[in-house]
Amino acid sequence: MKKILLALVPALFMMACTKDLETLNVDPKKPLSVTSASLFTRAQHNFVDIITSANVNRNVFRLIEQQWQETTYIDESQYDFQTREIPDNFWDIFYRDVLNNFEASRKTMAVDITDPAQLKNQIAILDIMEVYSWHYMVTTFGNVPYTEALNTGNAFPKYDDALTVYRALLTRLDLDIAALTVGQPSLGAADAIYAGDPAQWRKFANSLKLKMAITIADADNALSRTAAESAIASGVFTANTDNAKFPYVSATPNTNPVWVDLVQSGRKDFVAASTITDIMNTLNDPRRPLFFTLDPTGNYSGGTPGRSSAYSNFSHPAVLITTAPFPGNILDYAEVQFLLAEARERGYNAGALTASAYYTAAVTASILDWGGTAADAATYLTQGSVNYLTASGTYKEKIGTQKWLAFYNRGVDAWVDQRRLDFPVLPEAEDALSGFPNRLTYPVKEQNVNNVNRSAAAAAIGGDVVETKLFFDKN
Amino acid sequence: MKKLILSLVMFLCLAGTAYSQNRTITGTVTGKEDGMPLPGVTIKVVGAPGGAVTSTDGKFSITVPSGGTALIISYLGYISQTVRIDASNTINVSLASDSKALSEVVVTALGIQRNRNQVAYAAQTLDGTAVSENRSPNLGSSLSGKVSGLEIRQNNTLGGSTNVVIRGVKSMTQNNQALFVIDGVPVANNNMNTNDQQTGIGGYDYGNPASDINPDDVESITVLKGAAASALYGSRGSNGVILVTTKKGKSGLNITVNTGLTLGVIDKSTFPKYQKKYGGGYGPYYGTDESNYLVDNVDINGDGIPDLVAPLTEDASYGQKFDPNLLVYQWDAFDPTSPNFGKATPWVAAANDPTTFFEKPLSNNQSIVISNSYDKGSFKLGYNRDDQNGILPNSNIQKNVVNFGSTYKITDRLTAGADVNYSIVKGRGRYGTGYNGETAYNPASNFRQWWQTNVDIKELEAAYLRGKDRSAANPAFIGKENITWNPADYSVGSAPIFWDNPYFSRYENFETDSRERVIGNVNMNYKVTDWLNLMGRYSLDTYHQIQEERMAIGSLNVPMYSKYYQDYTESNIDFLATFNKQLSTDLNLSGLLGVNIRKQRTQSTYAITNGGLGINGIYSLNNSVNAIEGPIEVDAKREVQGIFAGATLAYKNTYTLDATIRRDASSTLPKGNNSYYYPSVSAGFVFSELLKEEKDWLSYGKLRANYAQVGSDAPIYITQNTYNIATPFDGRAQASISSTRGLIEAILANPNLKPEQSRSKEIGVEASFFGSRLGLDATYYSTKTVDQILPVKVSTATGYDAMYQNAGSVVNKGIELSLNGSPVKTSNFEWKVNVNWTRNRNEVTELFKDDAGNEATNLSIASFQGGITVNATLDQPYGTIRGKDFVYLNGQKVIGANGRYLQSETSNEVIGNMNAKWTGGINNSFRYKDFNLSFLIDVRKGGSVFSLDQYYGLATGMYEETAGLNELGNESRLPISQGGGILNEGVYADGTPNTTRVPNDEFGSYGYRRLPDKAFVYDAGYIKLREVIIGYSLPKTFIQKLGPVKGVDLSLIGRNLWIIHKNLPNADPEDGISFGNVQGYQVGSYPSVRNYTVNLKVRF
Repeated sequence: MKKILLALVPALFMMACTKDLETLNVDPKKPLSVTSASLFTRAQHNFVDIITSANVNRNVFRLIEQQWQETTYIDESQYDFQTREIPDNFWDIFYRDVLNNFEASRKTMAVDITDPAQLKNQIAILDIMEVYSWHYMVTTFGNVPYTEALNTGNAFPKYDDALTVYRALLTRLDLDIAALTVGQPSLGAADAIYAGDPAQWRKFANSLKLKMAITIADADNALSRTAAESAIASGVFTANTDNAKFPYVSATPNTNPVWVDLVQSGRKDFVAASTITDIMNTLNDPRRPLFFTLDPTGNYSGGTPGRSSAYSNFSHPAVLITTAPFPGNILDYAEVQFLLAEARERGYNAGALTASAYYTAAVTASILDWGGTAADAATYLTQGSVNYLTASGTYKEKIGTQKWLAFYNRGVDAWVDQRRLDFPVLPEAEDALSGFPNRLTYPVKEQNVNNVNRSAAAAAIGGDVVETKLFFDKN
Repeated sequence: MKKLILSLVMFLCLAGTAYSQNRTITGTVTGKEDGMPLPGVTIKVVGAPGGAVTSTDGKFSITVPSGGTALIISYLGYISQTVRIDASNTINVSLASDSKALSEVVVTALGIQRNRNQVAYAAQTLDGTAVSENRSPNLGSSLSGKVSGLEIRQNNTLGGSTNVVIRGVKSMTQNNQALFVIDGVPVANNNMNTNDQQTGIGGYDYGNPASDINPDDVESITVLKGAAASALYGSRGSNGVILVTTKKGKSGLNITVNTGLTLGVIDKSTFPKYQKKYGGGYGPYYGTDESNYLVDNVDINGDGIPDLVAPLTEDASYGQKFDPNLLVYQWDAFDPTSPNFGKATPWVAAANDPTTFFEKPLSNNQSIVISNSYDKGSFKLGYNRDDQNGILPNSNIQKNVVNFGSTYKITDRLTAGADVNYSIVKGRGRYGTGYNGETAYNPASNFRQWWQTNVDIKELEAAYLRGKDRSAANPAFIGKENITWNPADYSVGSAPIFWDNPYFSRYENFETDSRERVIGNVNMNYKVTDWLNLMGRYSLDTYHQIQEERMAIGSLNVPMYSKYYQDYTESNIDFLATFNKQLSTDLNLSGLLGVNIRKQRTQSTYAITNGGLGINGIYSLNNSVNAIEGPIEVDAKREVQGIFAGATLAYKNTYTLDATIRRDASSTLPKGNNSYYYPSVSAGFVFSELLKEEKDWLSYGKLRANYAQVGSDAPIYITQNTYNIATPFDGRAQASISSTRGLIEAILANPNLKPEQSRSKEIGVEASFFGSRLGLDATYYSTKTVDQILPVKVSTATGYDAMYQNAGSVVNKGIELSLNGSPVKTSNFEWKVNVNWTRNRNEVTELFKDDAGNEATNLSIASFQGGITVNATLDQPYGTIRGKDFVYLNGQKVIGANGRYLQSETSNEVIGNMNAKWTGGINNSFRYKDFNLSFLIDVRKGGSVFSLDQYYGLATGMYEETAGLNELGNESRLPISQGGGILNEGVYADGTPNTTRVPNDEFGSYGYRRLPDKAFVYDAGYIKLREVIIGYSLPKTFIQKLGPVKGVDLSLIGRNLWIIHKNLPNADPEDGISFGNVQGYQVGSYPSVRNYTVNLKVRF
């Protein structure tokens, strides 16, 4: 009995032990590899989400740009970005959720796309999306980690000079444009914007190149000119049908984030800002009902920037833009026409039309894209205050104001151009915590984990405060 | 060995022949103190085998061989007696109880009992009554203040979790909870809460499963504090071990019945006091010209003239001054079920402020324990039912625990035993926690941060009930019971804007959960020789739990239903050989050799409806408006294979040398790095043995010193990178490196991890004086934990939030002190005092550094609403609270030209430290004849807490201090032009005192908007009267008339009766958000509850 028992013991243990312990440490619920297409789709989705979002923790640029105004909790309207760690969130989403997934997709494509021509097209499209992401990073923060970024071997990446990064991005775009080959296979459905169409992506890349070129018009005029001219020559957007729209759907979680923030949440945090309703009222803008609801008096009115505003007293964002499947818009024909108008004014070789004609086309395209009619646009443009030839001010004021209106619901883009063109002039937010935010400060996390590099960057750009003007913002 | 066996044979032969003629002796054994018969007492003849046991009436009968000279009468807890056998065949004995006897034996790691002299490390033992007589259902929280070195933190939610940490936080990001071991079975004490819950965002606190233990079943608790004491447990013992020994069947049938009733009442000092001067609103910006406190441009009654309306959409109290003559349309004017429907009512402070939301719940607790033992074995059967109601409406937790244990002697040498503990815990309406969870409403965050002082709680209750009646009568109104004070607009039946009616939330949006659990083991003991024992054991801890959360149609948030299933199993196979051999008269060697295989598996599935619910009142996943997203599944496995050995050499019962070693191999570490050793060595010197004759004031004295190295393996599945699958986007597959749902984080795996290591040293002294009337136990320890397995936070520019690394070290140093004394001890009156004191200091001495010398200076452990982080900061104590600070000039706060405080440029200034300076407890107990009284005072000195409740609550103007008089004696809420406003204390940048008053006629001057985070960091210290117990035992003369009854005890128990001192206004400084490493932050804190219990205990 005893012997049997004693013999049993080691036998039992042998049976109970797992031989190769580490084989247990493989998560059966998560894949070790996925397709490059699924990573691309997610990264593109994340990119459009952050640009489109109205979440007060991430994207508060509609408030900075005084398109909207907060009702009761007016912290962000008064430039309090620290309480909700907005710089951290914006930064993290771009590096981690957008760029890192694009990079993972790029690495996987090299493996799972075996047709070299298809791979070339796909890498080009992916790289265009990355370039666009970097454009937002440098125009938001200034110097950021670029050459040493997205490298897990370096936990302390140094920051690169923003203008240098910008030049490198333009070079990348050139290579991408050259690489795109019409007639060869591409991403297909994984690309929710153009279904991988190389021709559309080439137009997009040229339009983006034009946008980026004009962005540095005051910072590196020579490069701005050559890049803009080559983009125009190569072919930019020619109609609203070219617009880069992201097809959100009605079912969560793939809805337009604005619907989540404004409708699904049940909150009533935003009303129109008086800045935009005042301008639109003055101009008799036909987009008012497309942008806003009527206030209780039957007019369009907005809350004073930086001041608490009763929700029931003012116009609200229009129902259309708060619907779940309302498409995201990352680049459009109207914007391109404004860019052409500005290129013309700056003396670039910008095609056949005059600045006025481009401006007219831009305003018309915007009105049509928002759902207005050609007649609306024509009537609008006949007004002396709108018509390019009669409206007051410099080209910067005329283009700046109308572009800012066209950039309604695209706060980040409005912010870049309004800082650069200095129009429209935005009134100071009441009781603001700082001067007008010309950038976001570096994330708090960078102070904790990468402070030597952050401090060097802060010194290089002229101080890690929101008032510091960035490289492209010369006036 | 041969010789040994030979001499053994000789001895047995002699024993067989020495005794030949027998006689029978009978008698009764009684207790000296009460004269009651003692059943189950062992009677043995000195030098002879066999023996007898007293029956229930204390009587025994024993056959004594002719050579027998004396009987040994022994009983657990009593002083054994040796009685000479003389001519008489009757021997009656009365045994004196011996409280000391129990403390002479110490239960050590793996349940091995050791003579106190041979224990060379800190181990503190508590009698089971320490956790049972206060009738608290939570064993963990009952330990507060009773053991040095042990820090207990509990929050005030019903059934919420209790944080049990021994000797400070050692591992920066991994588990630091003490390991609970019940009769050798390690018991999971996992965190059940979501990351959102733990960072104050929102969610339910589901408690931790260490509370599934029946306190009435506890015989004793031993706390093994240092690594040397717990090294035999391997990686699991690195945080200290709480050994729970359950009751065993004692000789004779014993039945104990407890029945208790508890009344809970909130402690108002832990809840805000509301100002009664001003009503709802954020300031004067409503109405036609945006200058009014009341809305004046809406026509409510349809007479064409605008009416005065309260700003219903606002959740603050910076509104119109109260005036009973002012008639205002308030929220109930829009409630068609209200008598005030369509009426303007006087603008006055609510008669019932939110304090009245809390109920005074009655809870009850019943338990019965039956035990018996006989010559072949023993058994015990226990049952405990605990039915707790919370202070929130519709909250209840029911706990039923059955435990059964039995041993059986198959042969004289072979014993089989089994224990099983089955529990089922059902929760309904647990409290929501955090700021504003999407799914879990926290009324405390509503009442402490966002409230209108004109809103009457009782009227909200009535409105909810009327709405319910209306929907019962007419299906058209189903789902419209949410008649709230905070509607989105001035229409009848408007949806809420920020807050549901709190009664609707409690009664419609409640959670339910259940956890069924079996903890048990089967074991066999084989006594090979009298010095060698073999034990084999299989033990199991397994539970199955379901959590269901609901959000009804009509709620502010998206209606939803979610279901979470979790199965957890841990099995342990142990084989243990122990020996104890007297090598010579002076030298004793004992030791052990063992193997352990531990297997853990957690499987869970979480699914939630998508986009809302289709049909009202149906909480089912298929009632989802959109197709549900794929459920989130977890299947996590771990296996640890351990072998261990230990030896203790004792010389003259005075000098002890003890050494142990364990080797573990864990599945969570990469091959090649997955095995590791834990050595420990301890030395003890009982100096009182040498001084015994000379110093009669010294009863006992021991010095001890030890060193140990323990470690931890890695979290499961962090050695390989995996992808997250996201819900497809319109037919397109989506995958991501960063998580797409819940926690948005990307952490880089590390295939080269090695175990983290903790090295600790300890020295201590244990002494008692004057016949053990005064006792002292003091320990100094130092622990350094290195190579920690950290998700090192890195620049997100890497594409990741964090990377797993072996990096960083934390040093904990501390002093533990226990004193116990009996200043007065007479036969009728006794006074005993117990003091425990602990001081722990820790410091983060190293974080992550790369080869180039770049160094991270901070690891954020959690970041919270308000921009607050809790951190491991280099060269700082673990748990610094960081945020924005004031700007100082010569120690004075600097004020800008606008009269407002300047704030630090960065928001990572160290503004607090979550660690206490020291903690302590004093328990006094008095016994006078049949009465006893004891009270426990629990003290925590220092440490800080950030209060989000103050941060927002002061801003929204609900508290009294926001509506007081200013330095001129004027109402501060008047415009500055009329002498109002407040004057911040501080100086201008040039050092001159501030003279610029700031307005207080709208929100902003108090609270978060214009003050740095530092303004809301408070001292978290407290002095609490934790427990008071008044007991009365029926006199024995009376009991004797009650037949089978052996004792009746009646007690009145108070828990958390009085916070004698605290520095945190409006809240309980002990309350935290959750369980785990992150402390020092409060949001939506619940008031503490005073519990008054009447308990009757009858022993048969």
